[in-house]
Amino acid sequence: MFNLRDWGAGIWERSGRPVRVLIALGAIAIAASLPLLGGTFLKTPIADYGSVLVFPVAIFVIMALGLNIVIGKSGLLDLGYVAFFAIGAYTMGILGTKTGLNSWEILPIGIAMAMFAGLILGVPALRLRGDYLAIITLGFGEIVRITALNLNSIGGANGIVGIPTPPTIFGLEYTFDNHRLYFWTFLIIILLTIWMIRRLSVRRAGRAWESIRQDEDAAELMGVPTFKYKIWAFVLGASVGGAAGVLYASKTLFISPDNFTLQVSILILACVVFGGMGNIWGVILGAVILGYLPDRIRFISDARLLVFGAVLVLMMNLRPDGLLPRKKREKALPEKGQS
Amino acid sequence: MSETILKLQNVTMKFGGVVALNDVSFEIKKQEILGLIGPNGAGKTTVFNVITGVYQVTEGDITFEGKSVKGKKRYKITRGGIARTFQNIRLWGDMTALENVITATDTHKKSGLLSGLFGMPVSRREERRDKARAQELLDFIGIGEYADRLAKNLPYGVQRRLEIARALGTEPKLLLLDEPAAGFNPAEKVELAQTIRKIRDAGYTVLLIEHDMSLVMGVSDRVVVVDFGQKIADDLPTKVQNDKRVIEAYLGVPEDAS
Repeated sequence: MFNLRDWGAGIWERSGRPVRVLIALGAIAIAASLPLLGGTFLKTPIADYGSVLVFPVAIFVIMALGLNIVIGKSGLLDLGYVAFFAIGAYTMGILGTKTGLNSWEILPIGIAMAMFAGLILGVPALRLRGDYLAIITLGFGEIVRITALNLNSIGGANGIVGIPTPPTIFGLEYTFDNHRLYFWTFLIIILLTIWMIRRLSVRRAGRAWESIRQDEDAAELMGVPTFKYKIWAFVLGASVGGAAGVLYASKTLFISPDNFTLQVSILILACVVFGGMGNIWGVILGAVILGYLPDRIRFISDARLLVFGAVLVLMMNLRPDGLLPRKKREKALPEKGQS
Repeated sequence: MSETILKLQNVTMKFGGVVALNDVSFEIKKQEILGLIGPNGAGKTTVFNVITGVYQVTEGDITFEGKSVKGKKRYKITRGGIARTFQNIRLWGDMTALENVITATDTHKKSGLLSGLFGMPVSRREERRDKARAQELLDFIGIGEYADRLAKNLPYGVQRRLEIARALGTEPKLLLLDEPAAGFNPAEKVELAQTIRKIRDAGYTVLLIEHDMSLVMGVSDRVVVVDFGQKIADDLPTKVQNDKRVIEAYLGVPEDAS
């Protein structure tokens, strides 16, 4: 049977460096030209196509990539991922409206805040495993949202309005409806995240996460400092979620606790599971499909959650590893005479 | 040969009311192959678990190279130089054989997550070095040709040997083997005995749990016998074989003699 993952990986492995660079540049070019294709069959019937690409599509991709570090790479089930998104967004909202800092200056602060939140959640929570970890993270996600809902100093249920757009850089103006520019900015963040994950995956950290996912006790007994690497996975995942939050807030200009419900955590989890846990290309594909389709097909947007639920149940039965599963293939054994 | 590397002093391990180990003491000398035998449920694997920090001893103390391992984190004990294999194979199935061993060699890397992220020279250097080292260990154990195969797809015997290679990847001073010959045929057992001797000759100390008597008696310098959590013999293989209590433990006591 044709296997998309193996087909793609096969081409990549057979190619030399120049071809790989070409493939990568081609993929980036296609992604970058997406906002220009609004007039084609990709056009969305209700919402503006350009804005759909930014949110939900690009934001979903960033968050799914971040959650994939936690769930896909390290096997830690985090059901409160939206908390880091919320912390990034609120950092942007509060600092953007109350101080003179601009979005670019707030971005690292938002990331740092999310990482810090990941640390203080991770230190107690990562002593637990499996279902218990899932429940405690689920609680954390709700705590963050309910705190925002009840703190009148940060807007309470009304949220924060009038969040500034990013300032003009290199003559590029981030006006509210300049969706293309936002998309390209987000694309850069996506590429940076992919670079980070790919880099880590082939090194010590990636192996440590992989061993923890497969057999945590064996990892610990083979000298892997499991707790430290679980914290790192959590903190790095949180940093990506925080970055998504800052960008989201400076794009929508208005945030409220309603944007950060448990549903968002579940949707992002659905993207990861649907696309293929542990495989960044699968995760991106999953996020693009689940982010875009409800806006493309009207029927789905009316019954979004129902359809997502049905899709997930179907996937679990037909293709439990997702659209593009993680690496399972072995390198072909060297043939005689070749080795 | 006479320097003690690991010492168990009056180790008692209780799980609630169950006494798994009762006042067990023995020591292992450097570059020795020590066999640990006993009937099923005698407490052999519990000995491994208290040495590697999976369980904390109820009473007594365990010292490795003069320092107590009590209360130490499991991964730190491994980094200190004690590595083990598992009775029920616990490889990382979705990794290749080579990756399994490299992950173990990471124990001694200086470069961490951030230097890996930014591709620091120290990280690159260590990656290259450890990859070569892992391949060397696979060759040493005799399974070098399987380096790129996923661990879960390997034949059973290769998986058992990969467990040994992975444990060696942590560069231990003391290697604990938990029934490495389980499920092996006689030819494989002979081969394994040679491998164990080779490991010792390479400078490691080996503590071996094994049910196959001819293997244990053939390869060990000394044998410790436990039964119902108690040490009942600690001597040369030939003497242990003729020890009255050991024979009783394995074969039972004739009715008229008791």
